[in-house]
Amino acid sequence: MHESDNNACTEYNELSRRQFVTWSAGAALLATFVPPWLPKVVLAESYAANRDVIISIFMRGGADGLTLCAPFADPEYYTGRPTIAIPRPDSSSANKGIALDDRFAFPQAMSALVESFTAKDLLVVHGTGSVDSSRSHFDQQHFIEVGKPRDPTIVTGWLGRHLASTTPMRTNAPLRALGIANGLAQTLIGAPQALPIPSPANFGLVGNPATRQERTDWLKNDYLGTIDPVRSAAIDTSATMDLLKTINFAGYAPANGAVYPTGSFGASLRSAAALIKADIGVEAIQVDVGGWDTHSTQAPLTGSMFNTMTGFAGALGALYKDLIAVGAHSVTVVVVSEFGRNVRENGSMGTDHGRGNCMFVMGKNIAGGKVMTRNWTSLARENLESGNDLKVTIDHRDILAEIVKNRLTNDKLSFVFPDFVPTMRGATE
Amino acid sequence: MSQSSVELEPPPTVTEVTAGPIAPPTRIAGGTTRRNFFRAGAAAVAVGSAGALAIVPRSGPRRPPGDPMLPTPAPVEPPATSGETWGSREVRLARRVTMGLTPEEVQLARTKGFSGYLDYHLNYTAIDDAAAQAFVATTYPQLVMTGAELYALDATAVLRQLQEATLFRAAFSKRQLYERMVEFWTDHFSISMRDVGYLKTLDDRDVIRKHALGNFPDMVRASARSTAMLVYLDNNTSRVGRINENYARELMELHTLGVDGGYTQADVVAVARAFTGWTIAGRGDFRFDATGHDYTAKTFLGQTIPAAPGTGAAGIGDGDKVIDFLVKHPNTAKYVSSKMIRWLLQYDPPAALVDKVAAVYLQTDGNIPSMIRAILTPDSIAAAPPKHKRPFHFVASALRGVNPTVKGVAGIANSRLSLVGQQSFVWETPDGYPDNVQFWSGLVMNRWNFGDYLTALTTGDVIVDIAPFRLVDTPDGITASINNAMFGGEMPTKTRDAIKSYLGATALSSTRVREALALAINSTTFQWY
Repeated sequence: MHESDNNACTEYNELSRRQFVTWSAGAALLATFVPPWLPKVVLAESYAANRDVIISIFMRGGADGLTLCAPFADPEYYTGRPTIAIPRPDSSSANKGIALDDRFAFPQAMSALVESFTAKDLLVVHGTGSVDSSRSHFDQQHFIEVGKPRDPTIVTGWLGRHLASTTPMRTNAPLRALGIANGLAQTLIGAPQALPIPSPANFGLVGNPATRQERTDWLKNDYLGTIDPVRSAAIDTSATMDLLKTINFAGYAPANGAVYPTGSFGASLRSAAALIKADIGVEAIQVDVGGWDTHSTQAPLTGSMFNTMTGFAGALGALYKDLIAVGAHSVTVVVVSEFGRNVRENGSMGTDHGRGNCMFVMGKNIAGGKVMTRNWTSLARENLESGNDLKVTIDHRDILAEIVKNRLTNDKLSFVFPDFVPTMRGATE
Repeated sequence: MSQSSVELEPPPTVTEVTAGPIAPPTRIAGGTTRRNFFRAGAAAVAVGSAGALAIVPRSGPRRPPGDPMLPTPAPVEPPATSGETWGSREVRLARRVTMGLTPEEVQLARTKGFSGYLDYHLNYTAIDDAAAQAFVATTYPQLVMTGAELYALDATAVLRQLQEATLFRAAFSKRQLYERMVEFWTDHFSISMRDVGYLKTLDDRDVIRKHALGNFPDMVRASARSTAMLVYLDNNTSRVGRINENYARELMELHTLGVDGGYTQADVVAVARAFTGWTIAGRGDFRFDATGHDYTAKTFLGQTIPAAPGTGAAGIGDGDKVIDFLVKHPNTAKYVSSKMIRWLLQYDPPAALVDKVAAVYLQTDGNIPSMIRAILTPDSIAAAPPKHKRPFHFVASALRGVNPTVKGVAGIANSRLSLVGQQSFVWETPDGYPDNVQFWSGLVMNRWNFGDYLTALTTGDVIVDIAPFRLVDTPDGITASINNAMFGGEMPTKTRDAIKSYLGATALSSTRVREALALAINSTTFQWY
């Protein structure tokens, strides 16, 4: 897998391993079930027309927003990063940036996102983050996922509370939300009918494939005799197994010439697209993408971070072609990370933990095709937080809340983001 | 037995699921706070949902984070496939005081009788545990190392060794009630090893395991001087003039009085001031830094600690006075009793029993064995509904049930426990892993896959031999063996019939027998104790 984290800090390596998901064996088995990838059983109701399906992506590790969306017009950017800056778009470098406007550029590794940006379906918001200044991975991931910093009473996630405070788009859906991971991300905690499913193609019992169905039926029958919540969880689990079994993930053919990269993140988004198109009532999908804790040898032009970005952008670009550009399904994608990284590179050709960062929002009804900023200044030391870091000028909750309100049609913003009054920044159309 | 070799396992995955919600530990008799209301309502959301992860607030200000739009909770009742077949009180007791039934434990319980069997486990140092001790001494040499020695080692290796030793002891030590209480106190004084590293190895040895069946006040005193706790809850940086309230708050909220224990924010500040200067030195040594101590007068919970300017080292007495007061407080007695009842007996401790055990606490100065005697009586055991095994308990009980040949438990203690959501010593917040069914019920698939994983092990550090299950090699005979090995002979008829049916009437392949064993482990009745 390309998301190697060899240059990450020790504490982070331990955390980031969890993000790897497998995509392998069971696909072959599933191919024998149903030739078309669509489920045989079409449920009675259809998606509520006015609510998007949301794909929430967390870049674990503190992605370097000044590489992902490089402020090439600012000489301070090049002063602070003598070895790891993205070259100016008007330079002669083979690795020159791809201009998004007269201030910002994508690195070459992110070229797969240009199509959606040009089509005004991809919005980049720069200088976002948490109002809390912690530079701890765990603190900031937690604060962002639960939707409020430094409040120990809140452990449910913002997306979990969104789902808990809305009626299901499909009343009999056994699965409203899933995290493509071994455990449910904090973002989704509190969501009804939500399961961690590391590999939707392989959600089922391990062991001998020949007896898998028999063992599954045995357990399903056995758990009918127990009590809630174990009984419900078992029923939802087996119903989800049955549901996912009807989808031939291996035979899934992306639309519009989309090609998902072979890494775990590509596989996850491919599964996400198949699930959404299968129309089984899934409303929210949480995916993690790791490899961003670039303390040393960041290498955004050829090496480590180049590869991480290529996998990330390639998967998101494929999802765009497959799902969003064709307009068949109403989907909003939002991408966040816990913090950005120092404006100045460190002595190891990497960057340490910083503050302000960029986030990405994708969808047909997103006000895309621009890099949104607020009070953006040059990266001169006097303009930086603690002399080192891009300031947070847009609370990430402003963007998330606008999506919840306008794309997920949920007005209960005070429940989803407690004690916070969002400012609508015009992220949606 | 030899030094363990590391299994080639997938890297450990640490799930987000394990990071967040807390044990809703106790219902102190006498009222439902708003917090309790929210907690209860939250549980109901989990009921009927596959996510089944309770929306419960952690410690902190008592304010529900949003609309109380959650439905009324359904009470937790015994599972239909469990309790009704549990005839013997002695075997019921064995379920409560062990990490899982084995034929030997069932035999002990039946032979010694209820009180004799309980005495046997409470008098744990008299239990010959030489085999497990020898294995631990050989395989996990770090457990006896000093802080300085541990400091020099790789942090991940230190974490792994403690995790593995903990699982090994839970599964294979004969001192089973002691191990159950070690797990309980580990959560009560929860410390994330991610935050404190090797210091937790010292805490585990010198605080938790030292006092697990001793006196509660001694454990609080040891915990207050534990460098792991001082670092974890930031008291090591709390100094006069710039106090850190973290430890003071959790000492009262989580360790002694309980969240409804009647203290105020002003009390938190006063207690924090009393503990200023309690810090660490060297590699894991406690130190009182007199220059960091606040010698002015403090008043907390109506008590006054007088000013003592210039008394130097004696300033440590302020913190000790706070502890002395807290551990004698009736609310501490109630809170700790209630939580122990919840752990050993049932999720909803009966108010009368809480009062009774709290009285024992006050009479015996927090003697833990005396409290356990008051909790585990023939009548209380007979009336208590089954509890749901937490993932660690489930994994340990499965290991006990299949009685494998073990050279090490690295793969299980790390990645497998992570997959089921309960790797030891990585719960991030100071409240410990939850002791409720709602939080744990969502990861059904992962549990099921553990049973399949375990029973398929035929090589490596853990080897499951199915020959003992096949001494009578018929579906009836094998089912009876499983029943005796893991269910105390009290497997529900429905489950027995289903396993027999799965084994079928024809010649039995070893794969089929292993699968039947996995189904027994994964069956709902095995999830309860």
